[in-house]
Amino acid sequence: MKDDSGFRQGMGLAFKVGTELTVATLVGALMGYALDSFFNARPWFLALGLILGGAAGCLNVYRAAQNMIIENDNDDEPDAKD
Amino acid sequence: MDNPLHHFELHPLIHLELMGVDLSINKAIIAMWIGIAIVFGCFRLVIANGVTLVPGKLQSIAEMFMEFLRDMVDEFIGEDGKKYFTFIATLFFFILSCNLIGLVPGSYTITSQIAVTGAFAVMIFLMTLVIGFAKHGLHFLSILVPPGIPKVMVPVIIPIEIISMLARPISLSVRLFANMTAGHTVLAVLFGLGMTSPLWVSWMPMGFTVVVYGLELAIACIQAYIFTILTCVYIGDVVKLH
Repeated sequence: MKDDSGFRQGMGLAFKVGTELTVATLVGALMGYALDSFFNARPWFLALGLILGGAAGCLNVYRAAQNMIIENDNDDEPDAKD
Repeated sequence: MDNPLHHFELHPLIHLELMGVDLSINKAIIAMWIGIAIVFGCFRLVIANGVTLVPGKLQSIAEMFMEFLRDMVDEFIGEDGKKYFTFIATLFFFILSCNLIGLVPGSYTITSQIAVTGAFAVMIFLMTLVIGFAKHGLHFLSILVPPGIPKVMVPVIIPIEIISMLARPISLSVRLFANMTAGHTVLAVLFGLGMTSPLWVSWMPMGFTVVVYGLELAIACIQAYIFTILTCVYIGDVVKLH
């Protein structure tokens, strides 16, 4: 189980990161769309939501990647999170 | 030729209705029961064989799984992780057995229903919120502002953090659901091709079915692993709060 841990982590990272970006963008866009129909301000909140959602997606991907890095070399730098 | 999505359809096998609530038993529920029974049975078998200081074959496998899960909990949740270990372990074994049962021909993959994975993910999300507020009180809201960012960025970062929080349960559920559904659809399409084509070409899709089946075995394990590891990460984020 130990020797294939690199493969497992790589597959895990690949599967994780792929959906993270899409879903965050979609959630941002949906929230913007909902705010639009609430305030009757058709394109503006949708655009804002898309941008913020994309940013949130990047943030999630960045965090997932950082978690993996910590997992890989947690012997030398346990506090490299911030 | 059959519709490749045909095997995702659910029809009630036994009609049951209790006070207006539809409680019909269908294939998915039976698959779920079998999954629970297999996990329970395996661990009962380990205990029935006698737990010894020097582990036998079955006990070694069980201990290997447990150690692997405990390392995961220790790493992502920290010293507080013991409290959540039973939950994490239950989640892992349940999803793993359900994923693997779906690969037995004629059975049903309940994790290919977004209702199932969505229920899991939403419950985990609510659980992290409850843990966060119970542990840190109103100070928990500071999870929306990462440490060390300039004051000017705060109004921008708060909506971003809210979106990234809300995206977590959705990506958690969609990932498991989409992977299982896609894998089983590919298997069904390849098998359909193999069944309908003449013998001199049908060896090719049939061979691919075998290859993809092996890949699906790996994906069933990896998806169960990812689902649990992300649950650990989410709980750990809330427990540690930066």
